[in-house]
Amino acid sequence: MSLASAPSVAAKSPGSASVLGGALQNLTGLRILLPFAVLVAVWWAIKAGGDFPDNLLVSPLQAWNAFVLLVSHGVIAEYASTSLTMLGIAAFVSLAVGVPIGFVVGVNRYAAHALEGFLRFLQGISGIAWLPLAIIWFGFSHTTTLVIVIYTLIVPILFNTMVGVRAIPESYALALRSLGASRLRLVVDVYLPGALPSIVVGLRLGMGYGWRALIAAEMLVRKGGLGDLIFGARTFGQIDRIMVGMIVIGCLYIVVDRLIIQPIENLTVARWGLLRK
Amino acid sequence: MSLQATSLRSSTLFSVNGLAWRLLPALPFALVLIVWMLGWAALHPNKATLPPVSDVIEVVWARMRDGELPSQIAASLTRLCLGAGVGILTGVIGGFIAGLYRNVAEFLNPLVVFFNAISGIVWLPLMIGWLGIGTALAVFVIWNTVFFIVFQNTVLGVQLVPEVLEQGVRTLGGGRLETIRSVILPGALPYILTGVRSGLGFGWRALIAAELVGAPDGLGQMIFAAADYHRSDIIIAGCLIIGTIAIAMDRWLLIPIERRTIARWGLVLDTGRKS
Amino acid sequence: MTAADHPAAHGRPSRLLLGRDGRKIAIGVVLIVLVVFGPKFYGMATANGRLDSTLRGAVEPRNVIVVLDFMPERFHNERIAAYGTFAGRDGALNRYRLRGVSPGNLRQHAEIPWVARIEPMK
Repeated sequence: MSLASAPSVAAKSPGSASVLGGALQNLTGLRILLPFAVLVAVWWAIKAGGDFPDNLLVSPLQAWNAFVLLVSHGVIAEYASTSLTMLGIAAFVSLAVGVPIGFVVGVNRYAAHALEGFLRFLQGISGIAWLPLAIIWFGFSHTTTLVIVIYTLIVPILFNTMVGVRAIPESYALALRSLGASRLRLVVDVYLPGALPSIVVGLRLGMGYGWRALIAAEMLVRKGGLGDLIFGARTFGQIDRIMVGMIVIGCLYIVVDRLIIQPIENLTVARWGLLRK
Repeated sequence: MSLQATSLRSSTLFSVNGLAWRLLPALPFALVLIVWMLGWAALHPNKATLPPVSDVIEVVWARMRDGELPSQIAASLTRLCLGAGVGILTGVIGGFIAGLYRNVAEFLNPLVVFFNAISGIVWLPLMIGWLGIGTALAVFVIWNTVFFIVFQNTVLGVQLVPEVLEQGVRTLGGGRLETIRSVILPGALPYILTGVRSGLGFGWRALIAAELVGAPDGLGQMIFAAADYHRSDIIIAGCLIIGTIAIAMDRWLLIPIERRTIARWGLVLDTGRKS
Repeated sequence: MTAADHPAAHGRPSRLLLGRDGRKIAIGVVLIVLVVFGPKFYGMATANGRLDSTLRGAVEPRNVIVVLDFMPERFHNERIAAYGTFAGRDGALNRYRLRGVSPGNLRQHAEIPWVARIEPMK
C-alpha cells in the first residue's frame, strides 16, 4: 500500500507542483533516495546540534563505520543470514502444513465454522506470548525461535487458506465435476488457483507478524540473528551497532515484503483474482 | 449432487441457524481441553512442563481474587490506551496533512514504508537508553507501531475521497475546514478505522513483546517472570488472558465502532466506492 | 487501473514473470541469496589463499594458529573454538592456537571469510 497510489484523485494542491518536483517524479530511483538523504541530513543535524552523548545517539558517520566493521568481521553476514534462514524455514513449513490443512477444513462448511473462532483466538495470542513456555520446553535454542515463528505464520496462513477456499463459488467445482474431473484436478484447477490470492495475503500478513516475532524471540533466546545483535549491543551500550542493526532489519524486511511477497501477491491477484475484482 | 440436495442434507444434520451451529465454534476449544485433561491424567508430565487444567484454573481464580491479575491487566491496558491513543491522534492528523498535499505524501512514502518495517519492538534496544525500562518505553513502542499503520491508512482514505464531493461543498460556499469536516473525514473514516483496528492488533502484540523484555509489571512481565520459576501454569493462564483480551477488544470495541460510524455515514461511502 | 487493465490479465504465467512484478521478484531473490550465501561462496572461493601451503593437503589432525587481521570479539572466539581444541593465544589476541584440527575442520575453517590466515603451529 503506497501513500501516493490513489489513481483517480487529481492533485489536491496544484499550486505546489513545481517544475523541479515534476522532473524529480520522473526519476523513481531519486524519488526513493531523496527522502532518505534528507533523513540522514536531519539525523546528522540532530546529533550535531542537540549535542547528544554517544550512549544515546550516534552520528550517521559513526553508524557507517560500525557497519563497515561489522561486515568485515563477518558479524552482520552471519546474523542476517541466520534471521533470514529462520524466516525462510518457518515460511516453508507454515505453507507446507497450513495450506493443506486449510484446504481440508475450508472445503467443509462445518469444519470451517468450527475452526474460525479458535483460529482468531490463537491469532490474538501472539507468538511472542508463548516464548517463555517455548523456552521452558526447548531451551534457549534455534528450535524455540523456529517454533514461535512457525506458530506466528501458520495461523494467518491457515485462516486465509480456509477463507480463500470458502469464497470459491461452488458452481465452479460442480462444473468441473460434471465434466468428469477427478478430485485431484479439482484441487489443482479450481481450489488452488481460487484460494491462491487469499493464501498469499495470509502469507504477507503472517510475515509482518512473524518478522517482528522473530526479532523479539532472538532478543530473548540470544543464539544469533539480528535481534540478538541489537539486543546484545545494548548490553555494551554500542549504540552505533544498534542503529546499524535496526537499519539492516528494516532494509531486509522491505526486500522480503516489497520485492518478493508483494509482487507475488500482485501476480496471483491479477492472474486468478479476476473473480473478485 | 445438486445444491438443493446439499441443503436438504444439511438440514437433517444441523438446522443451520440452530443451537448446534452456534455451539460449533466451541468444539475446538473443548477438544483441546479434553485432550489436555486426558493427556495429563495418562502421562502425568512434569508440572513445570505442562500443568494440568485444574492448576491453570486455580491460578486464574486465586489471582483474580487477590487482585493481582486485575492490576497486571490494568497496567498493560493502560499502556495500550496511552500509546494507541497518541498513535491514533498523531496518525490521523499526520495522515490528513499528508493526504491533502500530494507532494508531501509522495515524499514521505519511502520513509513511512521504512519506519513501518522497523516499527515496534525493534526500537527497544535504542530507546532503553533514552527512556529506561518501564511504562514510557512500552508506550513508545506501542505509539510507534500504531502511528505508522494509522498514518498510512488515513492517507489512503483521504486520497480516495472523490474530488467531486469536495468540489460540491465548495460550490455551496463551504471553506476548507468545512470540506474536511463534512466530506473528507467521513469519507476517509472506513480506512482510518481499518488502520486503527490493524494498529491495535499489532500494538497489543508489540506491548506484550516489550513487557517480556523489560517492564516492572503487566501481563508480558508476569509471563516472563513466571518462566524464571518454571511456573507454566501462570504462563499458560497469562497467554489465554492475552488472547481473550485481544478477541474482546476486537469484537466488543472495534467492530461496534466500525459498524456505527459506517452505518451513520453510509451514504458518503457508497459514492466513495464507486469511483 | 482495474484488474482487467493489468498487463497480466490476459497473459500466460510465462509472460507475467517478465513483467515489472517478475523483475522485482528476481531482484529480491538475488539480494536475499547474496546476503545468505554470498559470504559463504566468497569464503569458499578464497579458501586456498588462507591455508598455509604446508597445511593444504592435510590428511591427519594438525595443530594450527588461526590469525585474524582485526581485534576479535567473543563472537569470533566462539566460532573459532568450535573447530579444534583451543590452546590459548599465540602472543597476540588475534592469534589463536588450535590443537587437533581434523582435515575436514581445517578445510571448513579456511572457508570463513573473516579468517585472515591459518598457519601451522611450531
